[in-house]
Amino acid sequence: MWDGIIVGGGLAGLLAGIRASERGKRILIISEGVGSLTYSSGVMDFGDVEQLVNQEKHPYSLLGERAVRSGIEYFQTLFPEYQENWGASPQVLTPLGTPRKAGIVPKGLNAGALQDAQRIVLVVPEGLKDFFPEVIKSNLERSYPRSIVVLYPLRIAKFEPWHELGKSVAGMDYAKYWRSVQGIKLLNDFLDRLAQEMASEFYEANVIQGGSAIQRNAGNGKSVVVFPGLVTSFSKALEKVIAEAPFPVVELTAFPPSASGHTLYEGLKRRFRGLGGELLVGSGVKHVERHGNRCHKVIIQSKGKDTAFTSHSFILATGGIFGGGIEVTPEVVWERAFGLPLFIPTAWTSAEFLGEQPYARIGLEVDGELRPFDSQSNQVILENVRVVGRLLAHWDPWVEHCGGGVSLASGWFAGEKI
Amino acid sequence: MSDYQVVIIGGGATGVGILRDLSMRGISALLLEQGDLAHGTSSRFHGLLHSGARYAVKDPVSATECIAENLILKKIAAHCISDTGGWFVQMQEDDSEFEEQWIQGCTQARIPIREISPSEAYEKEPLMSKEVLRVFEVPDATVDGFKLVWANAKSAKRYGGDFKTYHYVEKLILEDKRIIGVAARNLLNGEELIVRCEVVVNAAGAWASQIAGSIGVSLDVICDKGTLLAFNQRLFQRVINRLHPPSDGDIFVPHETITILGTTSEIVGTPQENSPTEAEVKKLLAVGGTMLPNLQGHRIIRAFAGVRPLHREDSEVPGAAEEGREVSRTFVLIDHELQDGVRGLISIVGGKFTTYRLMAEKVSDWVAQELGNTTPCRTAGENLSPEISETTRKKASHFLPSAAAEKMLERLGEDAEDVLMKIQNDPRKGQMLCECEMVSVAEVEKVASDENTHNLADIRRKTRLGMGTCQGAFCTYRALPLLWQEKGKYDPLRDELKRFINQRWKGIRPVLWGQQLRETELTRAIYASILEPNKNQE
Repeated sequence: MWDGIIVGGGLAGLLAGIRASERGKRILIISEGVGSLTYSSGVMDFGDVEQLVNQEKHPYSLLGERAVRSGIEYFQTLFPEYQENWGASPQVLTPLGTPRKAGIVPKGLNAGALQDAQRIVLVVPEGLKDFFPEVIKSNLERSYPRSIVVLYPLRIAKFEPWHELGKSVAGMDYAKYWRSVQGIKLLNDFLDRLAQEMASEFYEANVIQGGSAIQRNAGNGKSVVVFPGLVTSFSKALEKVIAEAPFPVVELTAFPPSASGHTLYEGLKRRFRGLGGELLVGSGVKHVERHGNRCHKVIIQSKGKDTAFTSHSFILATGGIFGGGIEVTPEVVWERAFGLPLFIPTAWTSAEFLGEQPYARIGLEVDGELRPFDSQSNQVILENVRVVGRLLAHWDPWVEHCGGGVSLASGWFAGEKI
Repeated sequence: MSDYQVVIIGGGATGVGILRDLSMRGISALLLEQGDLAHGTSSRFHGLLHSGARYAVKDPVSATECIAENLILKKIAAHCISDTGGWFVQMQEDDSEFEEQWIQGCTQARIPIREISPSEAYEKEPLMSKEVLRVFEVPDATVDGFKLVWANAKSAKRYGGDFKTYHYVEKLILEDKRIIGVAARNLLNGEELIVRCEVVVNAAGAWASQIAGSIGVSLDVICDKGTLLAFNQRLFQRVINRLHPPSDGDIFVPHETITILGTTSEIVGTPQENSPTEAEVKKLLAVGGTMLPNLQGHRIIRAFAGVRPLHREDSEVPGAAEEGREVSRTFVLIDHELQDGVRGLISIVGGKFTTYRLMAEKVSDWVAQELGNTTPCRTAGENLSPEISETTRKKASHFLPSAAAEKMLERLGEDAEDVLMKIQNDPRKGQMLCECEMVSVAEVEKVASDENTHNLADIRRKTRLGMGTCQGAFCTYRALPLLWQEKGKYDPLRDELKRFINQRWKGIRPVLWGQQLRETELTRAIYASILEPNKNQE
């Protein structure tokens, strides 16, 4: 008998598992896949919290601002890489080099240093996939009109055979390389060389493109290096190398898949297991057994045979449409793990793709304790089950920009209650 | 003095076919098209090169024309056609009387048919329903509308023909009841273009009545909207037709790695009404499902619709106008001198993609006679595109994965050489920018710099970029720096990206379930953060 079984191993599920384990509970996480954090940039967005806590039925309004804040702060105590105080709204660079505001970000992604940069050096790793230096340069110049932007090439021996074949190097590959022993040493050397060249008069000759004579003079001031394909978070050694550089280094968020998101996923898993939690990846729930309004057993299919697990309480963190918690066919829409009734918007889509899309608000309705709730009969459906993350109804991360906030707040809350 | 002897209005298959035909006869001609070539009906159909068997019962004239053109096009446009063959499949509930008439009709039209046993059929098409009674093989094939239209345009150009895209014809210019030119507007820069000519050919298809209307001539064109579905895999190896009176959702047409299921038929008011609806999608799935069980379980990439121009007057059946399929699909040629007393104007209405060349020949014969030109038509005997040299082929398979090389050669023909040069000079440009349709960076770069390319949708029509499984989620982003390089040519990028994504969205909306819905959520995630960065936090 487990204290809690969490179905779904993405951001919300893992955070709930970590919090509950920390509180001394015996927790099992059953995850069909590997969550969708690798698709995310690793940046946590909260949206306009003040407005959303007043938006009817939004997860923020059910949990209240204090819980939202507690969830986020709890996450920061686990991962101090995510700095910034509540409400600080740090800036990050999009994959195209445009700054945008975020909720909290790993230290390396914080683009704040660019505000008073006189010179921005954009590192151009040879063959880096989905990375467009000219577009980024132009966007940086527009966003930081007082800075001059120069491109600085980077080639490393390890990928030479790839370049010869014209094969691109994914950001995940570069990030992985920098985390190796050899990579750390090479990064150190590269930054040293860059620092020397920046200080020397040979600098201008070696950059791919410089500015006009006047701009060059301006370039002798404060420099900031923008470094794509590098992820320093969760690596003490890399953080040290960056800290020792004589200029700030700003990482660039990646087009999916993203090494930053992946690193966070690995970090969450490590933390959960470190606290004694059990993580079962690759199995989905086949069947659930209930007694009245309580759930007591889940049956999963693993390696061709059925296994049953019993628990005092459950957390449903299977995700939404993208994560696989909700399946939509031309005839039916259903919640896949527990078969709970979903809130399904009457309208489904609208013409403006990036505008409000009603279908995105599909999900499970819950009470203030995040328990599945039938709003017609005004009753809690299962009193020992809590719902977290994208599976919750009445929110849309891509319009409200609150994906990180909802997952952290609901995950933390459920982990507290288990 | 005229600028051109002939102005052709409309850059669909018929229009470019006429341009090629006239150019080959040494008649100077300019084609004006309001959008990109093939943006209308010529790319919004199932891509079936008819054998004529579908018309064998109801429309013997069409049947005869189709089989003749089918054989010609397989020769002159081989690179645009995949000779898959086709089947007519009779199901339990289908009328056997129709089947007898059909066999007779095929024989009369000289369409070769061959019966094959259901057991052989099941073996060749394992996904097909096991409820079939009889199966007949016919020489149906599949055709790529974009490629065929561009191949005609390029061939015409080699013979001195001209075309201008994004030129909207505002009015025809008359003098003493005689056409002396056209007035057009360049939709990209707003400039007016006046072209003097002796003859105008109205080949605007679904838009033809608007053109005729500009000088008060009435031309009754019925707009018949047909919706189709694109599935994410090749469900069948050949064209599969249902052996019954033609109706909705009874043709499956495989193209490369996808399958198209069509077609609905609904009379609409204007050619702009080409949005597929969810009701049409469900209808298609229901009918298609009888030939392919569990059809709904297969991933649909998108729905799309085209508007077929049918001519009202050639249908004698009372009330036929209410039901699009009852109107004859055979084309009509209207000499407006005989009908309306306007000299030098001819309209071509109706017809099928399969018979575009024949239609072009008839029109060109009329034009040639009007101009006193006696050179005969040669379009049936000469290939659309020059042979691709063995050296180019070898080079392509050296620089690109073989499947990608083949696709690129078929798409670009002789322009492939430039793409290969780019890759030779910089191997990174051989990377696949569009992984779904295997389009390299070099190919997109080449097409983006083409004088007839003005936006992402133009690139899509020439390369298939964004037409595969991801529907632009990844490749739209990757095309960006290439558009950036063409400074000033494209709209501000954010607007262009949004427009392109919204165009793709139009076809996804009515099929928004399953894997395609998941893909949509990923696309929203990507572009919401790139294009709409935290608006409410700024």
